[in-house]
Amino acid sequence: MNRKIWAVVSREYTTRARTKGYIIGTLMFPVILVFLFGGIFIFGKVFQPSTQYFEVVDQSGRIYSQMVEMLPDTLKNGKLKFSFKELKPAPEKFEAVLEKLRSKVRNKEIDGFIIIPENILETRQAKYSARNISNFEDMEKIEWAISKSCSNIRLENLGYSPEIIRREMYAGYISLISFQVTEKGEVSKSGVSNFLLTYLLTYLLMLFIMIYGQTVTGSVIEEKSQRITETIISSIKPTELMIGKLIGVCFLGITQLVVIGSFVYLVSTYGAPFLLRMGVETPKLLEIIGNLQFTPVIFIFFILYFFMGYLLYASLFAAVGAMVNTTDEGQQFLTPIIFLNIIGFFIMITVAKNPDTTAAFWASLFPFFTPSVMFARIAVSHPSLPSGAIISIFTMIISIYLIIKLVAKIYRVGILMYGKKPSLKEALKWLKYN
Amino acid sequence: MAILEVQNVSKSFAALKAVDDVTFSIEAGDVLGLLGPNGAGKTTTIRMIMNIIVPDKGSVTLLQNSGENITNLIGYLPEERGIYRKMKLVDVLLFLARLKEMSPSKAKEQIDYWLERLDLMSWKRKKIEELSKGMQQKLQFIATILHKPKLLILDEPFLGLDPINTNTIKEIILELKNQGTTIIFSTHQMESAEKLCNKIILINKGKVILSGKMGEVKESFGKRNIHLEYEGKDDFLSKSRMIKKFDNFGNYVEIQLAEDIAPQEFLQEIISQIQIKKFEIKEPSLNDIFIDSVNSQAEEVDHE
Repeated sequence: MNRKIWAVVSREYTTRARTKGYIIGTLMFPVILVFLFGGIFIFGKVFQPSTQYFEVVDQSGRIYSQMVEMLPDTLKNGKLKFSFKELKPAPEKFEAVLEKLRSKVRNKEIDGFIIIPENILETRQAKYSARNISNFEDMEKIEWAISKSCSNIRLENLGYSPEIIRREMYAGYISLISFQVTEKGEVSKSGVSNFLLTYLLTYLLMLFIMIYGQTVTGSVIEEKSQRITETIISSIKPTELMIGKLIGVCFLGITQLVVIGSFVYLVSTYGAPFLLRMGVETPKLLEIIGNLQFTPVIFIFFILYFFMGYLLYASLFAAVGAMVNTTDEGQQFLTPIIFLNIIGFFIMITVAKNPDTTAAFWASLFPFFTPSVMFARIAVSHPSLPSGAIISIFTMIISIYLIIKLVAKIYRVGILMYGKKPSLKEALKWLKYN
Repeated sequence: MAILEVQNVSKSFAALKAVDDVTFSIEAGDVLGLLGPNGAGKTTTIRMIMNIIVPDKGSVTLLQNSGENITNLIGYLPEERGIYRKMKLVDVLLFLARLKEMSPSKAKEQIDYWLERLDLMSWKRKKIEELSKGMQQKLQFIATILHKPKLLILDEPFLGLDPINTNTIKEIILELKNQGTTIIFSTHQMESAEKLCNKIILINKGKVILSGKMGEVKESFGKRNIHLEYEGKDDFLSKSRMIKKFDNFGNYVEIQLAEDIAPQEFLQEIISQIQIKKFEIKEPSLNDIFIDSVNSQAEEVDHE
């Protein structure tokens, strides 16, 4: 590329990259992420579940040790989830102990107490008293441990040795491994994370194409309305000026996307392990982030589709800038272009759920929809590539080439045309000029 | 060798014939004044030279066989000139120098030289929007000559400049002329053109009405203008057949003789009628030629 075009590229880039707005905009996303991250950290620290202390009166005398053995659960920070202490009050002191336990719970010395009656095998009931009785998950665990202990005792009573019971019991444990059934088969990944990421990235992609497309319009209008064009045109061909402008503004977008992408990558890769190491339980949100599949391949497609989508749309935006004298006049021409983009986004939402239909295939090859629809298909199908992904790169390149060729003609005439804004019909006539 | 050849160039905008069959050429080292009243077609002609507007008819040949990218050899100061308001002065100049493919070190050196010379050094790192109109004009001029162009095309270079700055710019143009730069400039300031140009083209209503070397043009108009101080009756002025027209101030009259009349003959005719205090053969100023030519073309058009 020649030096003149580079001069335009670097002017477009540096003058804008130095503005406060751009710097703040670039740092905003990471800062938001840092705040989110910090919030989760603090939240996790403050509301971290801690060991629950229970005191147990086992009047049957046979349940306690088994029950404790069956609840070895630890918290993520390594401490025990439940801590039990057995009380063995004499029968005549039972009521007094009970009263003492109640006051201990009230004074928050312990979280609760459990009374296992002597005839539990017949009554099949135990008493759980605590400040908080809505903690179903924990209650179910304790319930399960006591039930299991009772079953064991019943089996022992039938003559099985404790060793056999224990062995068989462990041998009988199973766990559920979940799979998602998709058109590609069964996939063992978190669907929520993937859709979240796809929507987020596609949304960013379209947003950036629009933002930087309009930056191009603004840049062209500035040169026109400030009467700068003629000075510049004496040194560089209009088409070169346009290309330089498109590329310079494109780099601004890519810079921001790389910053944002790197942050998403860091968070999705190191976020959850980092919080764990800091001794914080992973809340649901972080689990989702931890499951994000933001791989280098997706990152590359992300930047590639921004680059191509931007060039396609921004060329049109440049043509609009060349046709009008003020931003207000431009709105009329910009609206249909923005609409085209939004339609692509809506198609993307449907296609992300069913990426392999014929309709999805063709929609993703329509150049103005490719950046959103094809990118979404790639993101949800990852790690395999959807049909047409490679073709789309070529269709985009050809479309960009044709559009730029066409737009360059409008641009050439438009930037030196002052006065009344042309109608679309008049602008199309410019295409015939040599 | 001709640096620029404009051949039978015409351009119309809708019904208006902005430039009508204009032909001229300039050689290396020429300073050409493109003169004409407002709306004569000067800017359109220049824009066609710069390939900003494509002529309907005719051709423009510019700096042929120069090998280099010809835009780098030209310095163009358009009539419609603006500059990036949000950029710093030095950044604008560096950018425009890069567009001319100047090396950064050379550009910086030249920028400092010209900013110093035109009193803009203290504004070097200020934004353009902080500069006054006159300063912006000077900045534009620097941008035009920074890369030492072979051909300088200036469209109304003195527009909006105060007399002091006009002088400074004039001096620099003269200096560039002496260094061998070929210069085309359009203006309706006749005094500046008179001092700077060796060739002129006078355009009115899109047509060339007068062109040639400054001396020759003046000569063709000269010798027939007489300034006369006298005493006596002034009826000789209206009686004489040798006078084409006159402008009488009482004891002083400016006379233009009819064609083919030598001042000598006229002197002989009047010497008996009045007492002559001063008889001077005056070269016409460019201003006179300008007004005269434009008016006589207007008359011709009226007669048609």
